[in-house]
Amino acid sequence: MLQLAELKDEITALKQAAVARQRRREVETEDALKWLADAPDAPTLRQLVKQQGDPGEQYALPVMDDVPLTQRFQELEQPPRETTVVAVDGSQIRPDRHAAILYYLLQVGGMIFRYNGRAPSTQSKSTLHFKPSELYDKEGLLITGQLGQRRTVAELEYLAQLTAQARAAGAPTPLLALTDGPLLWPYSGRSEEENRQLLPAYFTAFSDLQQSDGMPVGFVERPGGRPLVNLLRLTRPSAGKAANSAAESSPDQLTDRELMAHFLQPGERSIWFKRDSPMNQQHTRAGHAIWFSYLNIGTEHWPVIARLETPAWAAQHAAWVKILQQVLLHQARVLHGHPYVLARAHELALVTHQDQAALNNLLQQQLVAAGVVTHVSVKAAQKAYLGRK
Amino acid sequence: MNRENRAIRIGNVLRADIRGFVVASRIPEPEVPTFGTFVRAPIQQGQSQLIGLVYNISLQDDPFLRHLAVTVEEDNPAHQEIIADQRERAIPIEISVVAIGYRDSHGYRYGLPPQPPMILKNITVCRTEEVKEITARPEWMRLLLENREVPADELIAHTIQRSAKLHAGEEQAYLLAAGRYLARQLVREPLRLETLLQRMAGGE
Repeated sequence: MLQLAELKDEITALKQAAVARQRRREVETEDALKWLADAPDAPTLRQLVKQQGDPGEQYALPVMDDVPLTQRFQELEQPPRETTVVAVDGSQIRPDRHAAILYYLLQVGGMIFRYNGRAPSTQSKSTLHFKPSELYDKEGLLITGQLGQRRTVAELEYLAQLTAQARAAGAPTPLLALTDGPLLWPYSGRSEEENRQLLPAYFTAFSDLQQSDGMPVGFVERPGGRPLVNLLRLTRPSAGKAANSAAESSPDQLTDRELMAHFLQPGERSIWFKRDSPMNQQHTRAGHAIWFSYLNIGTEHWPVIARLETPAWAAQHAAWVKILQQVLLHQARVLHGHPYVLARAHELALVTHQDQAALNNLLQQQLVAAGVVTHVSVKAAQKAYLGRK
Repeated sequence: MNRENRAIRIGNVLRADIRGFVVASRIPEPEVPTFGTFVRAPIQQGQSQLIGLVYNISLQDDPFLRHLAVTVEEDNPAHQEIIADQRERAIPIEISVVAIGYRDSHGYRYGLPPQPPMILKNITVCRTEEVKEITARPEWMRLLLENREVPADELIAHTIQRSAKLHAGEEQAYLLAAGRYLARQLVREPLRLETLLQRMAGGE
């Protein structure tokens, strides 16, 4: 049981820290907007990162030479009729060593939304994994982090499958293929399973999407990170010097999202950037370098910044990007800043507690009928009892 | 197989007592049972089947719908696909069922079942042939007549009208038998009887 009274001092300290951070962020935002307005051209910025960049930091590198950093793209039109958007999301039941039966489940849900006045089509796919080779790693430990990686691959494979299906059904180009989260592989890429199985499968799904002439897009709402702020820091007059002038801040709180919330008007999109990280280099070698851009899908008093990630081969189609922006703005408008099609894909993918209970019941019935008796651990039973209080 | 003859599962038992139960369901609109639908639920480890009638269907509060309700406009062309999707979307509903009897190895029994269905048991709509069998004897109304917590008279009148059609060729005799049964059961409630008979005849 939580004793709120005991946390009184910590809550006060948290409040004070939040107020101080907010004040500091306001100053930093003002400075960063000035640096953005005065930023040199893209080749100079890339050269700056090459010469003065900290190898441990991430930088947003502008990818198009003839587009200034301050360029903003506005789209006011509705998506053209027949435009098709495919969206997927995934969820899972984690393996639980206290459960009566050891397994894990992956479920992906998807929607094919066509702008033709008719109801979109919905689908989902579940897979049950129970073999020891699927449940344990090489050290014999129950998998944990690997499940997220496998789910990421399952989502992109399903996205490729539904995109091919939509294409076969006559969807026009651009055929947008959305997933909730980043497209740049969000894991270390260092484990054996990633290198041997998962990353190759992930890149194959990208190639399948490319084959279908689809435009894969990772939609990252409330993005963290500050690669653009890091780039702007390098353009400061005092950059590279040991001490900063008192009149100039050295942003250590400000994120790209906060900066973009002040820079982009509702409906506006930033230019395309790329990160030169080891993982993006791996993507590049596979032919699927990832670019990103920021989009404000909120309103005047409520900016909602999303990071859009897409392979370079898709981002270079200006006509595709234009329709992507129209679609996202339309989709987000009805759900106050979140694309409808992704919200529905999430709903279709979701495994509820009720679903999980029904599956566990069914599995146990089957096992009992086959003469196999299983039961949850005493600890799990006790927790279930306490959880009901 | 047509809709009448296939087993339609409508959801799982959410809460139950001996007099009835509530089913939680997420099924698309065309599959939602109507008022007065006969349903069955397994009881006693599947040895018996509780028989009940749907007497209430309530749409549950869905945060997703609540979100959309303030932004989507029915006559806005930009919202047509979303409205169409929501109308086909499996909506969360609660279906309330009142028990009218149960079936065991000896056949149908019209009275309270020995046990309510267990939580998360799957509920199925009765097939046409089953409904015909259940309603063959007027005793299926007995528990309803005694139940003051459900719209019993509306349910009885509605069900008699529908089940009479299942007894093709004997419709008049069926209605007459039902009327006589009600007259015997409601001998002390003439006003209630009159209203019920009027409803049966399609009046009011």
